[in-house]
Amino acid sequence: MPTTPTYAFSRDAGNNRLILLLLAIGFAAVVAAVAAVVIVQRQAERDAYWVEHTLDVETSLNRFVRHAERTETARRGIIIAPSETNFTTIAEKAITQANNELTKLETLVRDNSSQVRSVVELRKIFDSYAELVRLTEAEAKLGILKVETLDRDDTVAAIRHIRTYVDQMLVREDKLLRERNQAQDNTRTLLSAMLALCAALVIGVAIAAVQIIRRNIAEIDGNRRELRLLNQELESLVDERTAELQRANAEIQRFAYIVSHDLRSPLVNVMGFTAELDAARKVIGEHVLKDGEEVPQQVRLAVEEDLPESIGFIRSSTQKMDRLINAILRLSREGRRTLAPARVAIADVVQSIVESLQHRIDETGTRVELGELPVVETDRLAIEQILSNLIENALKYLQPGRPGEIRIAGSTAHGRAIITVTDNGRGISARDHERIFDLFRRSGMQDQPGEGIGLAHVRALAYRLGGLVEVSSEEGQGSTFTVSLPLKFQSGVADA
Amino acid sequence: MPDQLAVNIVMVEDDEGHARLIEKNIRRAGISNVIHHFTDGTSALDYLWNDPHGPAHNGPALVLLDLNLPDMSGIDILAKIKSDPHLRRTPVVVLTTTDDKVEIQRCYDMGCNVYITKPVNYENFAEAIRQLGLFLSVIQVPDAEEAH
Repeated sequence: MPTTPTYAFSRDAGNNRLILLLLAIGFAAVVAAVAAVVIVQRQAERDAYWVEHTLDVETSLNRFVRHAERTETARRGIIIAPSETNFTTIAEKAITQANNELTKLETLVRDNSSQVRSVVELRKIFDSYAELVRLTEAEAKLGILKVETLDRDDTVAAIRHIRTYVDQMLVREDKLLRERNQAQDNTRTLLSAMLALCAALVIGVAIAAVQIIRRNIAEIDGNRRELRLLNQELESLVDERTAELQRANAEIQRFAYIVSHDLRSPLVNVMGFTAELDAARKVIGEHVLKDGEEVPQQVRLAVEEDLPESIGFIRSSTQKMDRLINAILRLSREGRRTLAPARVAIADVVQSIVESLQHRIDETGTRVELGELPVVETDRLAIEQILSNLIENALKYLQPGRPGEIRIAGSTAHGRAIITVTDNGRGISARDHERIFDLFRRSGMQDQPGEGIGLAHVRALAYRLGGLVEVSSEEGQGSTFTVSLPLKFQSGVADA
Repeated sequence: MPDQLAVNIVMVEDDEGHARLIEKNIRRAGISNVIHHFTDGTSALDYLWNDPHGPAHNGPALVLLDLNLPDMSGIDILAKIKSDPHLRRTPVVVLTTTDDKVEIQRCYDMGCNVYITKPVNYENFAEAIRQLGLFLSVIQVPDAEEAH
């Protein structure tokens, strides 16, 4: 036989646990990867924001420089044409715009302390420059401006200072921008990697899950096939065993038949020659005891007592042996009888048995009670014999001094009929519960006639009908014999 | 003439004890015909068919047949006798331990004239043999006449 089912199942259980664990790990990894992607995505957004921020700062710085340059241009215009008020307006407007831009810058670079300091410095420089511009303006209006020193005065130095300062700031911002761009690139690469990992994980888990499912399905298919094979094997095994049993039973029947015949032959001789001996003894006896002749006492005793006693024992033993052989013969003959299944109302059968035993029932003052009894498709003669033996036994082995009560009841369950014969008789000792079904075995006091055949016969018949017979009993309390038969006839043992 | 036509009793019985008991009881019944005893089927068949004094060539006979023989079944001998044109009128008494109804029926169907079960109860047995003696005296005459 292949692997035992228990082993296969335990291996499967371990496998399943492992598979579930792997799947759980896979799904957890997917969830973690998704979470990581979300986090990295956030980071990327932050990076983008900072890059934009830097660009904003740069733009703002450039705008400031433009305003500053415009102020310078306006100042030059004032110098060239002091009467023209238009330049003054432009210069004032540019200064205001530059200041506004600086304020904006202050807000923008609030996150960067060094840049904040730079902006403060820038404002200081620009403020002093603006003062110089206004001074130039006033001087021009008054006409005290010295044109020859124009390219060397403080204002020019201031605007140059502003230019270089802003350039430095721009350089710093550029550096920041490069760093931030780098960070953003890194984050993007990380994000791509994470996404790729995530995808790989999802695909991996999916493939693993599909594989596992496929393998499980294949395994289940395999198991199913194996199960079917096992079932077939089991069926053929049962058929084989049944055939073996039937052969064995037929063999036993034949054996019993032959043995009982062959045993009879010598018994005929024993009995016959015993009779001849007896006849011879009579002849001798007549001769010896004739005329009251004097014969030794020993001879007289031998002829009158010893010989008849011996012959008597030989006879009774031979007769007993003959009865036993006949019993075996009857059993084997019953075993060879062809069963004729028909619908049998057990109640009718029991009723007729009870009627046939009525005389003994009345004699012993036994109360017989019939319960609900089923209708069974079975062999009428066989079931009659079974029930009659059981009821007769119940009636035979009463507890002395207690009025007998016998109850015959039945039920059906799972396609089988159960018939019980319960008595309150003398009961059977527990160690004899199996023994009583053996041929020639009896239980308890041997105060009743019988050969120990009835229950052996009952069991053999029950087997033939595809049934079983069991006993439950307590010594001194009573016994219950339970016969179970298939409701639909199915021969238990083949007809020999 | 009658002494020539005396019926030979052919006893086919493998058990010496049974043979002796049968013979004793036949004699006790006052029958003095010759008894030819065979303990196996082969020699019995040989006598029945080939012996110059056997029933196939000569006078009438009665066969006492046991069914359980060492070399063959008595049923086979019965079938042979009853299918032979010369022998089929020879009365056959089956004497055996079997009291199976089917077996008895079969023997009668095959032409056995009397079936006697060897009972363990000796008195019954002796009685049956004596009855057989009576039967012998009845069949003797017509059988002898038919043979001639």
